[in-house]
Amino acid sequence: MTAEPKVAKTPAMIEARGVEKWYPNGFHALRGVDLTVQRGEVVVIMGPSGSGKSTFIRTFNALEEFQKGSITVDGIALNDDLRKIDAIRREVGMVFQQFNLFPHLSVLDNLTLAPVLVRKRSKGEVLNQAMALLERVGIAEQAHKFPGQLSGGQQQRVAIARSLCMEPRILLFDEPTSSLDPEMVREVLEVMQGLAADGMTMVVVTHEVGFARQVADRVVLMADGQVVEEATPERFFDQPQHERSRQFLSQIL
Amino acid sequence: MGPKPRLTPASLRKELFATPLDGLVTVLLVTGLAVAGSRLLHWALAQADWAVIQANSTLFAVGRYPIEHQWRLWLLVALLAAAAGLSWGVLRSRPLPDRPITALWPGNDRLATGILVLLASWAPAALGLTLPIQSRWWALTGLLLLVRWLAGRFGNRLGKTATLSLPLVWPLLYLVGMVLIGGGLGLVTVGANEWGGLLLTLVEASFAILLSAPLGVLLALGRRSSLPLLRWGSIVYIEFIRGAPLITLLFLGQNILGFLLPGGMAPDRIWRAAWILTFFSAAYLAEAVRSGLAAVPRGQLEAARSLGLSLPQALAQVVLPQALQIALPATVGQFISLLQDTTLLSLIGLLDLLGTARSVMANPLFLGKSSEVYLTLAVLFWCCCAALGLGSRALERRLNPPSLGR
Repeated sequence: MTAEPKVAKTPAMIEARGVEKWYPNGFHALRGVDLTVQRGEVVVIMGPSGSGKSTFIRTFNALEEFQKGSITVDGIALNDDLRKIDAIRREVGMVFQQFNLFPHLSVLDNLTLAPVLVRKRSKGEVLNQAMALLERVGIAEQAHKFPGQLSGGQQQRVAIARSLCMEPRILLFDEPTSSLDPEMVREVLEVMQGLAADGMTMVVVTHEVGFARQVADRVVLMADGQVVEEATPERFFDQPQHERSRQFLSQIL
Repeated sequence: MGPKPRLTPASLRKELFATPLDGLVTVLLVTGLAVAGSRLLHWALAQADWAVIQANSTLFAVGRYPIEHQWRLWLLVALLAAAAGLSWGVLRSRPLPDRPITALWPGNDRLATGILVLLASWAPAALGLTLPIQSRWWALTGLLLLVRWLAGRFGNRLGKTATLSLPLVWPLLYLVGMVLIGGGLGLVTVGANEWGGLLLTLVEASFAILLSAPLGVLLALGRRSSLPLLRWGSIVYIEFIRGAPLITLLFLGQNILGFLLPGGMAPDRIWRAAWILTFFSAAYLAEAVRSGLAAVPRGQLEAARSLGLSLPQALAQVVLPQALQIALPATVGQFISLLQDTTLLSLIGLLDLLGTARSVMANPLFLGKSSEVYLTLAVLFWCCCAALGLGSRALERRLNPPSLGR
């Protein structure tokens, strides 16, 4: 049971077809997953732990390999061609559960490192942009501190700014608020909400129901390496079609 | 870091005599130390005959290095003093993460300066050196402290690039030093077989330290590589070297390098030994670096790669800086044992510090003076190792990125 697909004027941002993945130990993590993400769309992926949702979005920028199926990101087919993987990674930003800021670099250097090295832009130009981004996520005054001196919420906002500094076309969020103290979840979600309002294409793995209801265009429920249900937030939360979805929702709501 | 506990009579009593048993242990230890210390002092001042050191001080320092070329070594020592003062001063001029404003001469530095000045005024005289030579040592100490003062005063005006490239002074100085010691570029050649004593020990150790560091990093990366040939090659190399005693490798090296390399290519004995020390040390360093690499969370590499950095970029900019910082204490520990391992060179017939000492003790003039000689050697080695340790700790504190917890 899928939601009415948006009418695509341009090719989809992410097109995943029949993706299957086995871990080296033989575990069948993804069992033929399909997903289409249109430009400017916000898709939230939910599901119990071990359902393969993190693994799935990590295949989009080749942090995880897959064995069967096909993934196309912004018109570039993901395969073993290393140059294509690098090209895709430049266009796909990722925000991690553990922030993964570089602790030996200042906040500002965290932001400027990749644009200078990868996009070969001038440091001065990138610095201006980085300051503007830090302003946007509300921590410009921390620019010269080190990650270890910031709270979790501040670190995650820096991580979002760091991704944005590469000017990606898509942002992937892998449980961005799961390791935050409760009082810091809101500041991060507000930044993400702002991004969505500006038209950023986002795929978000999260358990934040409020965020999914307000911001998502579509909610996808994954379980046991498969997509169980895909629907608008209203439909998904108010009239879930599948037993598995009702079971999951009863556990988190 | 909390405030340092102050030493007061009351706190001492609490520390040392908390229970009757503690008190007994304290009394026994203090008595033992006092007896041993006073005996050693009595021996050193009244019984020992330091003539063996005085008569051979040049031999211990540079071996049979030709006297007419020794000005080159003095020049090198002057350069080393200046470089040491520069590094010391610039390190001090940098704010620490947990101590933003540093004094120009903090307590530790005043202590170190006092020891240096005492040493410079006492040691040359005690060694019975002539007044001109004594005054050279005073001048060198003055130079070190002057550069230390200048660098400490104005070091914070250096830009980031200048500060970061400062450590390069040392390898550069090594190259200059090798020309000064060995000749070339217009200087008369002094063959390696004429080097000896502390000079040879330091040449061998610094050569091995400088070359084994990059080699060790490459081996550690190789051991974690996904390319099977590279990985297995690194593992076999590391485990083979770590499984063999250094002395057997040194003996082997004297013979095997001659077979392996085409005629004339094989370096002479001193450089063969230096290469063996390098290869040996690299295997141990690789393990230290590997533990550092393992301690860097996987997410660091993933974050770097997902930002579009290539694997070499991600390793150089993100993973290695963190891994090397974690591995620094173990690395310096390896360098310190490397310095001490150079004494094995005396067993393959090289006149390093220990080899020179053995030849001196074999001289009928100085029979029975081995205690004096060995004690001097121990103190010399201790000084070199202490310098390495001090430098590494200063570096470690400045590399640690600041965090909330500290």
